[in-house]
Amino acid sequence: MLIYISTIIFAAAIALFFWSCYRRFRLLTLGRPEPKNRFNDIGKRIGGVLYYAFGQRCTVSHGYRFGWNHLVLFWSFMILLIANTEFLLEGLFPDSISFSLLPPGVYHPLAVLIEIASVLALLAVCIAVIRRLAFPPSYMEARSVDAFIILSLIALLMLAFFGLHASEIAQGTEKAANFMPVSNFVASAFFSDVPAGSLNGYIDAFWWLHAIVLLVFLNYLPYSKHMHILTGIPNVYLRSLTKVNTQPGEDFKKGNEFGVGRIDQFTWKNLTDSYSCTECGRCSDNCPATITGKMLNPRLVIHNMKINLLVNGPGIMKNKETVLPLIKGGIEGSVAEQVLWDCTTCGACMEVCPVFIEHVVEIVDMRRNLVEMKAKVPEELIALFENIEQRSNPWGIAPGDRTKWTADLDVKPFETGKTEYLFYVGCFGSFDARSKKVSQAISKILNASGISWGILGKEELCCGDSMRRLGNEFVFDRMTLENIRMFKEKGIKKVITQCPHCYNTFKNDYRQYGVELEVVHHTDLIYDMIKSGKLNLDVNDAKDFGNLVFHDSCYLGRYNGIYEAPRNVIASVTGRAPIEMERRKDRSFCCGAGGGRMWMEEDTGNLINVERVKEAMKKDPKTICVCCPYCMTMFEDGIKGIKADDKVQVLDLAEIVSRALK
Amino acid sequence: MLIVTCVKQVPDTTQVKVDPVTGTLIREGVPFIINPFDTYALEESLRLKEKYGFRVAVISMGPPNTEVTLRKALSLGADEVILLSDRAFGGADTLATSMVLAEAIKKLGKKDEVAMVICGRQTIDGDTAQVGPGIATRLGYSQLTLVDHIENVDLNAKKIRVRRRLEGRHELVEAPLPAMIAVLREINRPRYPTVPMRIFAQDAPVILWNNKEMGLREDTIGLKGSATQVRKIFSPHREKGEIIGDGVKDPQASARLLVERLKEKNILIL
Amino acid sequence: MEEEKKIRKPRGIAKLIPGKCIACGARCQSACPEDAIEMNDKGEPVINLEKCIGCRRCIKVCPAEALEIFYTPEEQKILEQIAASTSAKGTGTKEVSIEEAAATAHIKEYRGVWVFVEHTEGEPATVSWELLGAGAKLAKTLGVELCSIVIGDKVEHLCQESFEYGASRVYLLDAPVFHYYRTETYNKAICYLVKKYKPEILLMGATGLGRDLAGAVATKLNTGLTADCTGLDVDEKGFLLQTRPAFGGNIMATIFTERTRPQMSTVRPHVMLLPCKDTSHKGEIVREFFAIKEDEVAVKVLEIIKGQRAECDLTAADVIVSGGRGMQGKENFEMLQQLADELGGAVGCSRAVVEAGWMPAERQVGQTGKTVRPKIYIACGISGAIQHLVGMQNSDVIIAINLDKNAPIFEVATYGIVGDVFQVVPAIIDYIRELRTGEICSISESKNSIGKE
Repeated sequence: MLIYISTIIFAAAIALFFWSCYRRFRLLTLGRPEPKNRFNDIGKRIGGVLYYAFGQRCTVSHGYRFGWNHLVLFWSFMILLIANTEFLLEGLFPDSISFSLLPPGVYHPLAVLIEIASVLALLAVCIAVIRRLAFPPSYMEARSVDAFIILSLIALLMLAFFGLHASEIAQGTEKAANFMPVSNFVASAFFSDVPAGSLNGYIDAFWWLHAIVLLVFLNYLPYSKHMHILTGIPNVYLRSLTKVNTQPGEDFKKGNEFGVGRIDQFTWKNLTDSYSCTECGRCSDNCPATITGKMLNPRLVIHNMKINLLVNGPGIMKNKETVLPLIKGGIEGSVAEQVLWDCTTCGACMEVCPVFIEHVVEIVDMRRNLVEMKAKVPEELIALFENIEQRSNPWGIAPGDRTKWTADLDVKPFETGKTEYLFYVGCFGSFDARSKKVSQAISKILNASGISWGILGKEELCCGDSMRRLGNEFVFDRMTLENIRMFKEKGIKKVITQCPHCYNTFKNDYRQYGVELEVVHHTDLIYDMIKSGKLNLDVNDAKDFGNLVFHDSCYLGRYNGIYEAPRNVIASVTGRAPIEMERRKDRSFCCGAGGGRMWMEEDTGNLINVERVKEAMKKDPKTICVCCPYCMTMFEDGIKGIKADDKVQVLDLAEIVSRALK
Repeated sequence: MLIVTCVKQVPDTTQVKVDPVTGTLIREGVPFIINPFDTYALEESLRLKEKYGFRVAVISMGPPNTEVTLRKALSLGADEVILLSDRAFGGADTLATSMVLAEAIKKLGKKDEVAMVICGRQTIDGDTAQVGPGIATRLGYSQLTLVDHIENVDLNAKKIRVRRRLEGRHELVEAPLPAMIAVLREINRPRYPTVPMRIFAQDAPVILWNNKEMGLREDTIGLKGSATQVRKIFSPHREKGEIIGDGVKDPQASARLLVERLKEKNILIL
Repeated sequence: MEEEKKIRKPRGIAKLIPGKCIACGARCQSACPEDAIEMNDKGEPVINLEKCIGCRRCIKVCPAEALEIFYTPEEQKILEQIAASTSAKGTGTKEVSIEEAAATAHIKEYRGVWVFVEHTEGEPATVSWELLGAGAKLAKTLGVELCSIVIGDKVEHLCQESFEYGASRVYLLDAPVFHYYRTETYNKAICYLVKKYKPEILLMGATGLGRDLAGAVATKLNTGLTADCTGLDVDEKGFLLQTRPAFGGNIMATIFTERTRPQMSTVRPHVMLLPCKDTSHKGEIVREFFAIKEDEVAVKVLEIIKGQRAECDLTAADVIVSGGRGMQGKENFEMLQQLADELGGAVGCSRAVVEAGWMPAERQVGQTGKTVRPKIYIACGISGAIQHLVGMQNSDVIIAINLDKNAPIFEVATYGIVGDVFQVVPAIIDYIRELRTGEICSISESKNSIGKE
């Protein structure tokens, strides 16, 4: 009788689990088609899953003290997955499926393994509980009921496991007793005095406890943040195989809707992202906006996307109106408008995410909806949009002024068929007083190297980076087509950029338009020139620069993986490697100007640039070296803001090199 | 009820430069844009449309490429756009311009009662601020220039109440409709077009009225209908970048010199 | 006439001189009798060589002297031959067409220079007196009388003041219906006076009121009006030459009204010199009555709201004193406020100041703040980052005070002082106050033409 009851309960619980999963996962089909191929290159994808998921690459790296704990828990779980599958099957088909039916040569090692895994899992759970109580992570949800329920369930499961086996050992029915050291210990410690007749009762009780906890756990999973146990690994498999350094384009056809204003306007992959979030909080721990007290918290953006899908999804399935707006303009909604505008698109969140969630793409998608469908943007952006559209630069300055920085310099226009490299100066390099000096430094270096180069002068147009990041894809699309037309017409194939944003736009965004430009940022170019001996430098001349701290630009570093070139250049010019800040390379902290933030007010929280400048000042620098006009502006402003401008100078890498030119 | 908004396509004068050597105007590469002042007029019309349910017609006199500007008006929400273009309209001063615009408004008024004509304060190329009053006078509408706030429109009593900004004071004025309203930049913040509207505007109709359609006497329009003529143009004498005295050594003297210079140039009136 | 000659005089073909066209609005196309001119997308003429008959009308109307007659070498040769033969015979007299003669006769009926005296409830606008100064010179050159028109309610005192500033006759319309300025009443009144007395020149101040009124009057009288003039002169034929900036101040244009009268201008305040008052100067008051009943006028002025204009709205201020990070602290903005008060202006600031919490965000000038175009912009301790420059670079006069002589603000400044704001600004305030107390009337007679170009 009992056997039938257990079979029924097991069958019902397992069915319920699959039903819950079905109800949740079918909502993913609401998403739009995904522009990127998420199934190609299977080998690479499987390799990634092994490395990142099974190797727990992201959880253990970069100073997350408790990452190891997750690794232990993960692997224990993997092993226990086998044990519990057996348990479930045994429950469904009693006496017909059991490990004990396996030959001893297999069963005994397995028993040892499961024992060890169980102990480790129990330990890891205890550590996790202690951590949440004693050293809680920055966000409150880590201590949520959800977390403790799950941890207690796991702990209970382990205890029931040991109880069950210990009582079985005490009864003498466990064939592999000698291979279960912990259970053996428990048996001798707690069950040696128990009369043999009661042991059956214990066995049943522990078996049922184990069964119920396991079934509860199973059915709780799809409704908790631990859904990531189910979706995390698939999401790693579906990850973008290239760096997420661009956003997909849009098709500007009549009748189309643009951007994402409703949850089902995300692609299915975006929705999968929301299901995969482990709520580990690494993204928020590294987000410059979150750190400085802005409204944006990338973890919550993803979490709220999931909540929105769960609330609206079933209704949308039945073609009903949504009940909870995705973007919160007024009182109600999942993601507040301000949250979207807070993002600097620095990519720190994506860099650290263990399950490869593409936060920036999703944030920009929602910005697009605000800009393109609702024309609802912070006031200061309207002027920017008009300026860029009308005069192809952010300030609305006359394009004729683009060549002003060339006065008294030997700068030639780009000539089709004659000139090899286009030096694309960019808006900052052309108009901004400080960045003009960088343009001059670059032109000096280019001339010294003897390569053939020229500029577009007043014909140069804005690359459109800010427009794309701010969600004004329509104008970006037009600007791109215009630029590509000009590049083709003039036969431009090789482009040197001063600004990492222009660099990334030409290299990664324009690629979507089928253009393969050979784009090089000045740091890379200078490094190559030094390597090949094209530049004659006064090496070891460190007197001008003193303590030199290097700041990684997001769009050069994280977006395009250029970390070593600027460092090597500094080393060759000053004779020593730059001083590193605590947050550097792929963990570098944004200056605060990317993603169009340059053109917006920063009126909540602390200033991002000041936060970064303060970090740099800890190293007592005389020089801070940057490679980006945005970083230049933000650092200079931040330094003036903390009144340190008499102590430290900000120089572009090109300026450092041009000063060392013989 | 109809609001007619008058707009002009102008060269972007902020991009116009004067050749320092020859003194001629460098216009190369200078794009034509919607007169910035007119964007406020259009915005105000659209706000009134949203509030009171007017239809908004936008008219513009200019060469055929003015169509671009009118399409922009469509993308922002204008209901109807009319291009007044004919070689006979060319070379017009403000008198001849207001003639064509006023006649076009009359023509529109035959289909739908005109409640208001809204213009920008002035254009950035001509800077005259005379076309608005010209239209009001020709049509006999209430003339309300320098409006920085529309307080109320009473459609039953056919009255409008606006605030005008003059030197050192504001004026609250009530006037009967129809009225010609010339608005200041401070009246609103123009909106940004949505993409679906832009796509719609790409192939929405732009109505063309030439003089065949308008039937105006040739000596009242264009160059022939203009009362003023340009005798000559020349580049202004520009004073740029004068460093006054040595402010570090003797700030007092620099300050005095500066004030004297400002007085001398009539910049500072004490 | 050429047809009668044996050698037919070549007429040539009109040709555009590259770089000179200002895209004035297709005057040439409009003037062409043969439809030989099409305008391209840049607003420049493209001349159809097949159609052009070399009539030169386009050349005459071109304000920019961007068109010329082009002769082929053969035509050039013929021209030289004709020139040689005609110089022997002597040149013929210039012909005057019948139309031109009629127009000349018509405009001869108009005589005298008029100035409209603007006031707010009896308080005169200074520009009116400046115009009397400028008008006096025009009247002297033309040999005619200088008159003013005073319209209002209980404004007879303005007649006396007009005399003191140089008018010899004042046309006065004094009635309660004229208490507030309203376009309709004033327009009708002025048109009535003009039709009755026929002045050849009518000047008004290019103020809000003046430009509102002049536009209406000129349209009603169907005559030429030139806005916002900065220079007035009279040519040898007696035409009023009105010079004004156009194209955003990038060019100056001299405009005249050929066939209609009166010749009307609005003149920018503070450009013409204010004449000295001569209390002994007397004149004649011509009292006029022009009947408009209050209930015939539907426009009502409900309220006049005075003062605090610049305080509440930065974009409307004529003078802005702006501070940057160089002001070093919130407390130092008091000094800028004092200077602003002296000049009747408002205080603005750069983004850094708002970020530092020294000033509220609505005071911010620049890319993400307000775009301003005051008459005077004084930048104190502002280095001039591009984000700031774009918000103020179209100001008429920019004064920069900064300790760093390499600051980019000096690149756009009209006047710059390299020095410490904390020394320079108080010195400016002191000197202005000193001048205020001892101000005397001064007028320079040395200028040939009136006003500045």
